[in-house]
Amino acid sequence: MTDSRPHPLAWLYLAALFVFVFAPIAASFVFSFNSERFPTIPLGSFTLHWYQTAFSDPDVWEAFQTSLIVSLSAATLSTLIGYATAYTDFRYGFRFKAAYLALALLPPTIPLVIMGLAMLAWLSRVGLSGTVTAIIISHTVLGAPFAMAVIRLRLSQMDPAIEAAAWNLGASEWRAMWHVVLPFCLPAVVSAFCLTAAVSFDEFAVAWFVSGLNKTVPVVILEILQGNVDPQINAIGTVVFVTSMTLVIVAQILLMNRQGRKA
Amino acid sequence: MSAPLVEFRGVEKRYGNIVAVERLDLTIDAGEFVALMGPSGCGKTTSLRMLAGLEQPSAGQVLIDGQVMNDVPAHTRDTPMVWQSLALFPFLDVLGNVEFGLRMRGVDAAARRTKALEWLQRLGLEGFEKRRVDELSGGQRQRVALARSLVTEPQMLLLDEPLSALDAHLVVRMQGVLTRLQRELGITFVYVTHSQSEAFAMADRVVIMDTGHISQIGPPREVYRRPANRFVAEFVGRNNILSGTIASSSGGDVVLTGGVGTLTVPAPPTERAGGSVCVAADRMQVSSDEPDAGSRFACTVISEEFAGAGVIVYLEAPDETEIKVQLNEAELSALTLAPGQQVWVSFASDAAHWLED
Amino acid sequence: MSNAADSSASTSGKPARRWLYPLTWRLPIIIWQAAFFIVPLAFMLLMTFWLVKNYRMEPDFITKNWVRMYTRGYFWDAYWLTLGRAALASLVASIIAFPASFALAFQVSDTVRRWAIFFLIIPFFTSYLVRAYAWQVILAEQGVINAMLGFVGIGPFTMLNSGFGAMVGYLTLTLPLVVILQTLSLAAVDRSLIEAAWNLGCSRLRTIATVIIPSAKVGLIIGAVFCFILSFGDFVSPYYLGGSKPPTLSILIIDTTKSGQQWPRAAVVAITMIVTLLVVAFAAIGAAYGKPRK
Repeated sequence: MTDSRPHPLAWLYLAALFVFVFAPIAASFVFSFNSERFPTIPLGSFTLHWYQTAFSDPDVWEAFQTSLIVSLSAATLSTLIGYATAYTDFRYGFRFKAAYLALALLPPTIPLVIMGLAMLAWLSRVGLSGTVTAIIISHTVLGAPFAMAVIRLRLSQMDPAIEAAAWNLGASEWRAMWHVVLPFCLPAVVSAFCLTAAVSFDEFAVAWFVSGLNKTVPVVILEILQGNVDPQINAIGTVVFVTSMTLVIVAQILLMNRQGRKA
Repeated sequence: MSAPLVEFRGVEKRYGNIVAVERLDLTIDAGEFVALMGPSGCGKTTSLRMLAGLEQPSAGQVLIDGQVMNDVPAHTRDTPMVWQSLALFPFLDVLGNVEFGLRMRGVDAAARRTKALEWLQRLGLEGFEKRRVDELSGGQRQRVALARSLVTEPQMLLLDEPLSALDAHLVVRMQGVLTRLQRELGITFVYVTHSQSEAFAMADRVVIMDTGHISQIGPPREVYRRPANRFVAEFVGRNNILSGTIASSSGGDVVLTGGVGTLTVPAPPTERAGGSVCVAADRMQVSSDEPDAGSRFACTVISEEFAGAGVIVYLEAPDETEIKVQLNEAELSALTLAPGQQVWVSFASDAAHWLED
Repeated sequence: MSNAADSSASTSGKPARRWLYPLTWRLPIIIWQAAFFIVPLAFMLLMTFWLVKNYRMEPDFITKNWVRMYTRGYFWDAYWLTLGRAALASLVASIIAFPASFALAFQVSDTVRRWAIFFLIIPFFTSYLVRAYAWQVILAEQGVINAMLGFVGIGPFTMLNSGFGAMVGYLTLTLPLVVILQTLSLAAVDRSLIEAAWNLGCSRLRTIATVIIPSAKVGLIIGAVFCFILSFGDFVSPYYLGGSKPPTLSILIIDTTKSGQQWPRAAVVAITMIVTLLVVAFAAIGAAYGKPRK
């Protein structure tokens, strides 16, 4: 529905906005193949030098490994917890539900630096600081609300009668969950997994506080950044961009395909 | 004498302070087609859901085959339901939907496939087993839902407004399918609806419910012809309700004086000083001149409404009581009515019957 | 009630495990967020009263950390700087976002709107750190922007290590989200209201000011609040694009934690930030839902 035709200036404005939003991503990509240490216009020549430098560094490889373990684990835990929470919100009403939902959804509103400090202080108290586990725990706290939101959205498209229909046809609550609710939510579950994997893969602040020697990729980037301008970051960053953009795009497409399809 | 298949004993259902069902006593025999009918919020669906174990009674007992079912979980009851929304599983194909109940009962793959295909064929859905349910028409989806519920060969089938989403012409066809199935299978159908045409066309017995309690139970004809109280009279058919006090009695009849005038109606079944009688719209006559027999009173014509083969004439008595009279085309053309015109309305004594207070 | 008791008495045996199923779904988030969200935050509050001795924290109940931070000028300088920058970022982001959101909500097709939101969601989940670094290169003294300005004979300008640099960073972080929230709330405004305003002879701008903005108020405020929360807590933009001097509260937390081992004092800053955010959030919610529209 358009109730007034888009003014050419409106298109121009939108284009400018998108240029601003995507410029750093595109720049990082271009600079990563550019021979100049301090890239500017005109660009230098094409090179793979920065990729070679970055990926000949064993620390970078190790960081990618750590990141992989952390994001897969955090995404798994976030998705499981988020699923349980979304289902609870969908199915049950109970006292203190508002408080329950606040608890479930609040973490992303706390500044990451503060989360980092709180996690560092608490996890070192219980002897977990500096471990990969510490990063996984923290990222699950941050990821679960996103997983919950995505899966809850899918559940709101589900006719509550189909779960009751499963019971009615002889499925216990557990089997109805497995045979009906879960299959219905499957695209959203995969989507939530991708999204929380991306959240974890990109998170640098809390990870920086609690990671100790087990650095994830963003933490390595952060530490290189504290030195000088180093185009290695563009090379590593491009890999990070491609990874997380893929995850987020997959997450969105999974949700999109099912949007119109209701039970 | 064997126990009834289903029995509600003083069943109540409350949600906080809201009473959805208030002391429901009802028995349903094996092989019966019973329709629970009433306006929305009358408790009919809640009663059905309590029978299926999807709601817990707040008080009273629900019995099936003489067993108290209150605490039997839904999935161990043999009470499959056809849902208003159909509630087909969108991620399964037609065969997967129909097989579901058998799969939950642990029937092996080959046997449940045979059984499901048999039911698909029975309901005219052969060749559709691999279709996705959202590729089917409304009528086909309806039949998939039926097959899914009947594939386990239950002793009763619960239906919750199953036809409300269908087009009018499909409703009539599905009514035929349902009645035929019920006769062939000989199982109990408990059918919830707000549509009197559906209930009266199919059911052996209709249960009229009003705000959580039963207003009247009986065969469709009886409920239609002799509504027991004001609620039923207003809910079913087109009825006129006339009130007054009994002035005198003569033979089998009494004279009722009140709102619209002096009426001659049958004597009430029990001694009473007055009350209301019900006269069906098609048992009243309209004439330009005062008739010389029967109860009669003057009315003003308000409007007309075409209804199938006839016409409903809406009139107003001097005390502002709304009167509905059903006339056929011939009667109507003999009268030439116009809004605002003064006419006479009359009815024979035996057209009226008393309503409970 | 007595009947209800009867029926539950007859339940004995079977449904003893009926609580198991609901609790399986309800408890995980409670346990997880209690252990790893509520307790850490509560511990952080407790920590502000602890003592640091020989680079180690010791349980205590002293107010020294609070006094120490609250009596230092640099703390309050950082506080007002952070507050001011976050407020400015919310204002700037809301103003820049509005024309774009307006166009997306009212002037383009549903398909274009859906894809625009699709693409705006992507950067929100995509390494903010690397994007900030890219700006560092683009905005540098010899960077792309100054090179382009040089072609038309102006500049070079110093854009990094300034409030401007930090603002670019804040907008990178928040603009996509603000546009999404504004677009969604504007798109939800009842079209017939707008048409009625048109028919009553309202000019374009007056329609926006008197009909559209009040109707979309909640969404516009929520967008600004999210921008405030994100900018208020961000340390990347002030550090790498804003030049870290003077420090914002987030930088203060990092410096105090990482170099000084003064966790309790960092916690004082953190608690102050949380309280500030709560006040701002509640004030904004009050403004959004508070007084009925006339």
